[in-house]
Formats: sequence, C-alpha cells, structure tokens
Amino acid sequence: MIKFSRYILVATAILVASIVLPTLFWTIFEKVPRSPNIFYSTITEDFVIVDGSKKKNPEGKEYTSEEYEKILPFMFFRQLMADGTMPDSINGVLMEAPSISRASSFYRYTPKRLDSPVPTLWPMFESQSGKVNLTMPEDYFRIEKRMEFIVARTNEVNEEKSSLFTAALAEEGFSFPAGIIAGIPTTRKSCDEGYFITDSAGALFHVKMIKGQPYVVRIDTPEELDIVYIEAVDIRSKEYYCYVFTRNKGVFVVMDEVYDLQRLPVDGFNPSIHTFRLTADLFNKCITVMGSNWYEAIALDDMYNVVATHGEEWEDLYDRPDGKMFASLFPFETQMRDDNSSFVRFYFKPSPGVRWLIVNLLALIVTVVLIIRRGWPLRSNIPDLIITAVTGVYGLIATQFFPNKFSKVKPPVKN
Amino acid sequence: MLKSILYKEWIKIRLVVWIALGLGLLALINIFLKVRHDIMFVDAANYWYSFLFRGFTYFSILKFLPFVIGLAVAIAQYFPETVNKRIKLTFHLPVSENGILIKMHAFGAVMLLAIFVVILGLFTAGSAIFFPSNIIRASLLTMLPWFLAGMATYFMVALILLEPMWIFRGLYAAAAAGFVTIFFTGASIGAFRPVLLPLTLITLVLSCVVLFSGYRFRKGEM
Repeated sequence: MIKFSRYILVATAILVASIVLPTLFWTIFEKVPRSPNIFYSTITEDFVIVDGSKKKNPEGKEYTSEEYEKILPFMFFRQLMADGTMPDSINGVLMEAPSISRASSFYRYTPKRLDSPVPTLWPMFESQSGKVNLTMPEDYFRIEKRMEFIVARTNEVNEEKSSLFTAALAEEGFSFPAGIIAGIPTTRKSCDEGYFITDSAGALFHVKMIKGQPYVVRIDTPEELDIVYIEAVDIRSKEYYCYVFTRNKGVFVVMDEVYDLQRLPVDGFNPSIHTFRLTADLFNKCITVMGSNWYEAIALDDMYNVVATHGEEWEDLYDRPDGKMFASLFPFETQMRDDNSSFVRFYFKPSPGVRWLIVNLLALIVTVVLIIRRGWPLRSNIPDLIITAVTGVYGLIATQFFPNKFSKVKPPVKN
Repeated sequence: MLKSILYKEWIKIRLVVWIALGLGLLALINIFLKVRHDIMFVDAANYWYSFLFRGFTYFSILKFLPFVIGLAVAIAQYFPETVNKRIKLTFHLPVSENGILIKMHAFGAVMLLAIFVVILGLFTAGSAIFFPSNIIRASLLTMLPWFLAGMATYFMVALILLEPMWIFRGLYAAAAAGFVTIFFTGASIGAFRPVLLPLTLITLVLSCVVLFSGYRFRKGEM
C-alpha cells in the first residue's frame, strides 16, 4: 500500500512535469507558425498571398502596397476611390460602392468551433415584427423531449407557445431531441432568419417565428449527410443562410429562400483538424483550406465553378529547429488545452522520431548513479529505472522528488 | 478506540469546519442576492443571455473557496501533529500504524466532502429559483473542478505536512502546486466536461498518498 502510494505520487509528478516543462520550453523557444492569407484578384486573375508583411503572387513576385491595393479593388475600394484610381467598371460591370460592399463577405471556420461546449438555450426572435430593430424575447427555448420555451423572468415554461412549436416541428417529421442548433442569437443583425436545427435522425430543419407563429421547413439534403457543424451567417448579399459542415461529405451552403444545398469544392476537408476561410466579392469567392503546415486555395466564380487553385506546403512544427530540439529532449508532452478544441482534456502528444532516446538514456544513467551513490541495491529500484527509461527527464524528476527509500528497511548486506 | 480517534480529529478541525461552512454560506448569500438584484434591475432575459452567450459566471466568487477550505482543514488536522512530532504518540498506540492514519485521513476527507456537498447542494437549490436545469447543469460542470481541487489540495497538503524533511516538503509542494493548477485551467463554461472523470479518479487515488510521508515520518527519515 505504501509502495503503491509512492507510485501514485511518481505518476502524478510525471504528469505535472510533462505539462510544465514543455510549456516552459515553448514559451522560451517557440517561433510563430506561418498562417498566410490568400485572396483572389479579379484584375490579375490569380491569387495574392499575404504572408506577414509580404504580398506576392503564387510565382513569388512581390507587390508594392500600391500594386496590392490596385489588384484587390473590392477590398480597397474606399482607398482607391479616394485616390481616384478606382476603375469605373470591371468586366463590364459598373463599380458602385453599395453593390461592392453588399457582395463582400468573409467567413472563417476553425476546428475549435466543432469541439466546444454549446449553449442549450436559445432566444427565438420575432422575425417579422414590422419594426426595424430586433428585440430580445423574454423567453428561451430548448429542444429535448419537446420544444420548450422558458420565460426568464419567472423561470417557468410557457406551455402554450411550447405546444404550438412542438406540434409544428412534429408535423414536419422532426424526431426529438435536437442535435445541432445554429442561429445568430443577437439583436445586432440585419434581419432574423431563426435557427437551423438537426433532429436526432440527422435531418435538417429551418425554424423561425413569424408573427408569433412557428415557421418550420424540412430541408431536403441530396444524400444522407453526417452534419457536424452549422454556422448561420448574416451576409449582406442574402445569397445563403448558413454553412453546413459534414463529417466527410464536404461543406455546403444553404441557399436563401430556395433551400438548395450548394456543395463547395473542398475535397478532403476534415472539420476536426482543418481551418476553412471564405472571402467573397462581386465576381469571385476564394476559399482557403488550411492544415498545420499547408494550404489549398480555391477560387470560384459566381456560379460556384472552380476557376483557379493554388497550394503550398511548408516545414511542419517538428521539422523546424525549435520542434526538433523539443523532440530530442522530451519523449512526449501533455497539454490541458489544444488548438483544435475548446474543451479541457489530457492531450497526450508523443514526440515524433526516436531522438529523445538519447536524453532518456542519460536520465537513466543519472538515476543509476544516484542509486549507487546512496548505496541502495539496484534490484529493488528496477521499477524506477523502467519509469525513467520510458519517460526520460520527467521520470528522473518524479523519482527524485519522491525517493524510493523503502530499500532502507532492509539494510544493504555488508561484506 | 475508533470513536476516541475521531473525536480527537473533530476537536482539531471543528473550528475550521464551522468557519468553512459559514464562509460558504456567506458566499452563497452574496451570489444569490446579486443574482436577484441583477434580475430585478437589469432584466432576467439579458441576465440569462450573458451566461449563455457571453460566458458570464454568476458564481465565480466560489472559485478558490474549496481550495482555501481544503488547505485549512489539512493544516488544522496535520500541523498540530507535526509540532514536537506529536503524531508519534498516536503511532505508539497498540493498533496498526497505517490503519490509524487511514482513519484520521478518511475522517478529514469525509468532513471536507460534507462541507462541499452542503455548499453545492445549497447552490443548486438557490439556482433552481432563478435558472432552468440547463444553466444549473452547466454551472455545476464548471464548478466541479474547483471542488475537486479542494479535495486534491487536502490530500497533497497532508502529504507535505507529514513529510519530516524540509527539502522534500518543498519538492512535494512544487508537484502539488503543478497538479492543483490543472483544476484552474482557464476555460469556458462546461469546458471541463471530458476531463472531469479522469481528474476525479486521480484525486481519488491521491487520497492514499499521505501514507507515503506517514511512513517516512515513522521510520524517522531525516
């Protein structure tokens, strides 16, 4: 029991060391990883890559800031109009500030959004109140065994409204409870489009409230989609309601009013590890899918046809000098937080390669020397030696913090 | 015999237990008076909104309370034993040395747990007046790591106090500080959900580590 209690302490110390030491290491040595921004220029009909302070085309030709502003006229139209260098028309389309800003939008998805705690209560706005401004409702809804509205002031369920909405959902074939609920729960938006909700069978629904009455639409999907994340957007062009991310069937947008699902051409996109960016302007959309050390940029025309693609890859973390040094010092690290998640977990990350074996061996030698110097028998310290051999520096620290002095009970045999 | 040991432990920690309960009660009264005030003067819908979508936690005053209580109970129970090595008297009783230490430790842990259960129970009851189950569940999920931290602190501080050598007290304290920090990792509401079970298990096995320094104490490790 006492020996066991020591191993619990050693294990805890290894856990703590594998969190603290790598954190120290990265604060001292980590270099900022690359994260370029990619745009598509209608003028040059090519991509523009913004990497740090450098702006260049895919061939590596650098642009000055004036050139950069000129080839991205939709991003910098205010500057260009002030300079008087904004073209009157592009591709035969007259350039007017309202239409440019209406068509421009930007959206960014990171894996963190997929893996994070979600609210289970949402406000249902009145989407056709006849007023210009939206008002915050006095109740919140949840969809468990049925759809329930809870009045915040009294903390009681509004039975009438709850039955009304539950019946409307059931009529469209909604199977309770809800899976994903996605909407824009703020009054600071141009208009209210309610919520996009998946049911327990994975079917997609649009639910909103019009003049106090439920409005429910079952959205047909081309095939069974394993929807993992939905993000409702409030874009000025009113082209689509929301983005729909599926486990491995790609990314879709749900077109406004007609509810058609438009597939975005991002094959191989994995929502649990990849970042997704979309910038839209009057003529094109530019999508960037980014992994830890690569990106793939795809330019689309206004009919969602691919007009150009460009990809790049660079050194991974463990190929960089700081990463290499880490992988030779520590056999693994434990983190409580991860870039791809909002949840706290024990994120166990083994170091690639076997260079850490050398440091582990050194730690083992130090342990052996310490044991011999104290006159303890090596045999009763075999578990310590194994622990140090496997966990390296962490094990060395842990076994010294909580020394194995049980061997003292039986004094070493004197010759 | 057992009764007298438990009575001895109770005498050592009773003041701390009552103070801890009093502090917990004061904190809860403070929390719910504030909630009531804000709901009356700000508007309930907005108050719920700030919890659901802005990550506002109305109970953040409780964050370090379990830690402080765990620390206080451990000190009240084990510090007097180390003065003039009084615990040696206990170890000289004609009963199992480990057994007696386990009983002392279990008593302290159960008292601590009881304090936490009372605080969490009253918190849940109070929250039920103002909030639906969804918000209460999310709140408890967010608070549980703090209360686990209180238990872990008790176990680790007992280990540190019974350790006879100062240098090792320092080393244990370093390991304990690193471990207890895990429970206070900054995170949004409900973010600890996946790690609660592993953390509970680790805390549970840490309950027996006091035996380690107890053993070193008995063997006169100097």
